[in-house]
Amino acid sequence: MSERFRIGRILFACVCFAFLASACAGKDDVTPVEVEKQAFEDLREQIRDTIENPAREAEAIKLVTALESDLEALRESVAERKSRARELNANYDTPREDFDAFLEIQIEEIKANRERVSRTRQALVATVTSEEYDAIEKARTKAMSAAIASIQSI
Amino acid sequence: MLIAIFTILFLGGSSTGLLEYIGETEDTIKIVMEKDDRRQGALGTVKAMQIRTKARNKQVKNARKEFSKTLANHEVTMADIDAVWDIYFVEVEDYNSDMLELRFELRNRVTREEWQKMFSADQSE
Repeated sequence: MSERFRIGRILFACVCFAFLASACAGKDDVTPVEVEKQAFEDLREQIRDTIENPAREAEAIKLVTALESDLEALRESVAERKSRARELNANYDTPREDFDAFLEIQIEEIKANRERVSRTRQALVATVTSEEYDAIEKARTKAMSAAIASIQSI
Repeated sequence: MLIAIFTILFLGGSSTGLLEYIGETEDTIKIVMEKDDRRQGALGTVKAMQIRTKARNKQVKNARKEFSKTLANHEVTMADIDAVWDIYFVEVEDYNSDMLELRFELRNRVTREEWQKMFSADQSE
């Protein structure tokens, strides 16, 4: 075997290895949004397994789906909030009143959010029994555990 | 998972502070400003922001624990949740107000040109 042929084979093997390594890494790359989507699917599945009454089951699933939308909205709102704060701060001449007005809007938003979440929680606890609530809460799939970490960092 | 969802929604996000990143500008200040008393003052303000944010992070951690504990109980009343939320909310307001004070303190220690250099990445077109 010539030296050139041997080097060529080694190079080819290196390229193949690099390609396989990158393909394997990409296969398991899942975004937090995808993880959360799966986690909510698992949560709905858990509700189906836990609640035997079809009407209550449908209501609980509806409420959890509303929570899923609320989380998406919160994520967007937090990103907008931070971006606007950076914009205001970057301007050397932004008056204090502009910051105060901006913070006031954030406060109103957080209060409105709290009211909505309160209503959803009240509806959920009225729909499920204490035992069902515990069973749904205690359920953990791989996606749920991963989603909890990403939810906590919103 | 339900408790984690309710907690973050009640909190309105894991960080309701909006100006804490200014406290991370220590290195930029050292590059942008001349080494003199003015720079020392600016660094002092940034340090104060860091200390305030550290204290705030502890409050958030405690609030999260308190919410999780409260929400784990199916029978908990709205009054119980409101009590936790009201304390948390006062802390949010106090923190934002303190950070805003410090932001203006820093701004008054820095020239327009230095400020533009420090926050050039955030300036709108």
